Amino acid sequence: MVDEGEIIRVAKLMKIDLEDHTEHVGRVKKMLEYFDILDQIDLSSEEIVSQEKALAELRKDEFVPNDKKLIESLKNFREHYVRAPKMN
Amino acid sequence: MTKIGLEIHCQLTKLESKLFCSCKANYREFEPNHNICPVCMGLPGSLPRLNQKAVESATSIAMALSCKTPEKIAFFRKNYFYPDLPKNFQITQLNVYGDMSIGGEGYVDVEGAKIKIRRIQLEEDPGRLIYEGESERTKITLVDYNRAGTPLVEIVTDPDFENPRQVRVFLNILSDLLENLGVAEPGLEGAMRADGNVSIEGGNKVEIKNIGSFHDLEKALHFEITRQESLSERDIEIVQETRHWDDRRKITISSRSKEEDQDYRYFLENDIPWVKIDQETITSLQKNMPESISSKKERFVEKFDIAPQVADILASDKYYFDLFENAHSDSDAKDIANLITTDLMGFVDTKEKREKSKLTSQHLSDLIAAINDKTLTRTSSKTALQEIVKSGKSVKELLSEMDLGQVSDSSEIENIIMEVFEEEKQAVLDAKENPETVNYLVGKVMQKTKGKADPTKTLELIKSKLG
Amino acid sequence: MNLKTSILDYINDVKSGSFSVEEFTSATIQRIKDVDGDVHAYLSLNESAIDDARAIDKKISAGEKVGTCYGFPISIKDNICITGSKTTCASKILENFVAPYTATVVSKLQSEDAIVTGKTNLDEFAMGLTTEFSAYGPTKNPWNLKYVPGGSSGGSAASVAANECLASLGSDTGGSVRNPASFCSVVGLKPTYGLISRYGLISYANSIEQIGPVTKTVKDCGFLLNVIAGQDSNDDTTIDNANSDYLNDIEQGIEGKNIGIIKEMTSDGLSPEVSSATKNAIQDFEKLGAHCEEVSLPTIPYTVAAYYTITSTEAGSNLARYDNIRYGYDFESEGYEYNSYISKSRTKFGPEVIRRIILGGFVPSAGHAGKYFLKALKVKSKLISEANSAFEKYDYLISPTAPVQPFQFGEKIDDPVTLMLLDYNTVTANLTGKPAISVPYRVTDGLPIGMQIIGDGKSEKSLLQAAYALESKTDLPEVPL
Repeated sequence: MVDEGEIIRVAKLMKIDLEDHTEHVGRVKKMLEYFDILDQIDLSSEEIVSQEKALAELRKDEFVPNDKKLIESLKNFREHYVRAPKMN
Repeated sequence: MTKIGLEIHCQLTKLESKLFCSCKANYREFEPNHNICPVCMGLPGSLPRLNQKAVESATSIAMALSCKTPEKIAFFRKNYFYPDLPKNFQITQLNVYGDMSIGGEGYVDVEGAKIKIRRIQLEEDPGRLIYEGESERTKITLVDYNRAGTPLVEIVTDPDFENPRQVRVFLNILSDLLENLGVAEPGLEGAMRADGNVSIEGGNKVEIKNIGSFHDLEKALHFEITRQESLSERDIEIVQETRHWDDRRKITISSRSKEEDQDYRYFLENDIPWVKIDQETITSLQKNMPESISSKKERFVEKFDIAPQVADILASDKYYFDLFENAHSDSDAKDIANLITTDLMGFVDTKEKREKSKLTSQHLSDLIAAINDKTLTRTSSKTALQEIVKSGKSVKELLSEMDLGQVSDSSEIENIIMEVFEEEKQAVLDAKENPETVNYLVGKVMQKTKGKADPTKTLELIKSKLG
Repeated sequence: MNLKTSILDYINDVKSGSFSVEEFTSATIQRIKDVDGDVHAYLSLNESAIDDARAIDKKISAGEKVGTCYGFPISIKDNICITGSKTTCASKILENFVAPYTATVVSKLQSEDAIVTGKTNLDEFAMGLTTEFSAYGPTKNPWNLKYVPGGSSGGSAASVAANECLASLGSDTGGSVRNPASFCSVVGLKPTYGLISRYGLISYANSIEQIGPVTKTVKDCGFLLNVIAGQDSNDDTTIDNANSDYLNDIEQGIEGKNIGIIKEMTSDGLSPEVSSATKNAIQDFEKLGAHCEEVSLPTIPYTVAAYYTITSTEAGSNLARYDNIRYGYDFESEGYEYNSYISKSRTKFGPEVIRRIILGGFVPSAGHAGKYFLKALKVKSKLISEANSAFEKYDYLISPTAPVQPFQFGEKIDDPVTLMLLDYNTVTANLTGKPAISVPYRVTDGLPIGMQIIGDGKSEKSLLQAAYALESKTDLPEVPL
């Protein structure tokens, strides 16, 4: 059984404000309960796999300046900096 | 027994580009937020493109630290929110699906003790936060993302250090090694950082973070050991935690954020396929690796008969090494080595001085040549070096301009000897009685000529005058 | 001039001078004005489409080299970036986002003289399969405006079906191209993972998603694939396709081929109409000279859970960057502390996105990864092995694309598990990285049914041959709009 308090705690970690969205918790819970089906399959011999690439195929180490002044199209503060909220 | 472990972060500033994009790896010359692109800013739709040479450089580091290197490397996402992280996750490495970080299980020999390297990983540096404003309440948080994505190698040691002094020796060895490999510039501000962890007999492990310099690291370790020992003496439990170094107060403080709230949700970064590193690559990296510090030292001692302490300095400091290697021939190697370690070192012992210095290897070989053909005394070489470092003038120019040429003309020396004999009557009498005190008179002549008189000739002349 | 034309017929007509690019583009824009108020396939339109058309006409009349697309109109799902135009992902959080770069697929199309008509609607961040989760209102199914068009590329499929363009690009994470293609009676392809560059596609679940073409005919699909497939230095996950020509030999047929009918996708859960259409399709394949038999991939019942576990984990991470600090919408940070500011900013996410982000924080977390996320990855591994052994024996695996026909708005949105199970037949291709295509097969009671053919990795050429063969057996009505 999934604990609702745990879902709310995770939401907070994911920076999701759940104050007005408590109905989400029930739905998330239903989905998690459906995922219990994963307990019924034997996966003991399985390994994690991924796409692979040779080292030589990777990007070459070259400095290419970004041709646009990207900062100008982003939120900027005194033209050069990005401003973050107050850190505690 | 005290156990100390380290996590060292070193930027690969010798690379041209960042770890996942083509912005400059060494961000220091740029105006704030002028070394950024959609990739390192994590704009939606952009994808990381791994830098081949970053993988090679990091692998070289692993090999230089006697690590095992894997056949495949993988990257992971470390997920957490912080304003210096454009994607709110950091691309790093982890060994969860087998050993797939750049290297591991290596060691460094520190004065006979074996310090084990647990893991080496390649990751991206975050941006930088700048706090502006008078007080805590009016502080403004600014972010400069120029550093975001700079290739960073993290080196994790086992808790094999017994005291902070050993840590310092290790870090010096490590900086020299990284510089020697030509992959990093540990002297650059912020290019090499270290966090530590400390435990004492019977106590839990405490991590210390937020340490600005190696100097502070040593202080932080000392503080932490003392703090833990005093708790232990009073039978208070040492809790396992992360503490922050408070640079202003020079103490460690318990971090407020609870450990359980830090769940990084590590998982594979699938935008970067696993990279295969075959034996051929390893062999070629090995072949192209610069000569190690210990092998350089051995070579200097054996080939040129250079004293081990001198050879050590030349081999481990890349600046001196480059000067030496470019200046010496087989016949003058020992003289040049001694010139560097006895006369030059004081003028170029900091990064700032080295950057300003106009001295080249050519100056060193010219100086030794001048000393050997007696146009310059050995004792004047220090004055000459000081001037060269400052102005970059050639040895030839200096000899004519600065009157540094050796005085070996007998009549000129004789005149000076007469002056000395006049002033030092008692010493002359003493020397006649006891020939061993003659050196005092030689010294006086040297003083008057500012070291330019040929010492052998001076002694001869004084002896003949004394009869 | 007929807006119902295929790309290939359009190109012949333009080449032979039957009409100009400008004439066709104008007529397309007029069609959008006429019907899109009802269909709502588009979120924004390309204001310079007519100018682009004139420029191509000029090249044609001057005898200059013209790109292979000859100005045919194509719509682009609004999670694919084009320089200077808004890319919203149908989310309020990207309401004003203008990317400073163009996706590789769009650059390739533009350099071959295709004309982008506009950006199409989707479920917010491509999470959904009805477009009901778009922050800008749902797209309607052109076959019946009371019914959902499928999703998440619902706008793309509807725009093609309603003749508001000749083709579209969607993205397919778990069926998001094939499902709406099936619901709107158009062709939709999810290529082999890595065949098409994802550079410029805003990530939802980057380990399994691909951009895919939505077209009226199988041949058009091959034509588009020729333009957009191939390795891209901006995307390390792209693979070499040896410059395959997907159109050449497309009529070769499937005589003597072996087809596996996926047991787990054709037994329980199919509506009677879909079940009956599937039986007919199997007969058609037999008539075409293929040999069909049932094959079981026993891991399939676990794939939907694995799929949602993996996609929500990746989504939770991919969507973490939307903190409104570097870009986003106007919302002053003064007076807020960091955590409360970004949490407040992120309330702009819609309900389904919020739920998947929470799931994405839960299933890979230190305390739960063993129960959910790691198992999901292993289900993926196991499924890949099963699929690989199936392809040792069979050339193709088939199933209906969706277990049901289109349904009415609001009908299924309230039950998350029912919604998840709509992906049952499509997620296998994403989890295995194999290519899969949805071919319009039948229209029953005025609502379309599509058949899915799955091929082995990088077998798009052969996959399109089978799709073309099946298409040639169909005779479908025209869309009533």
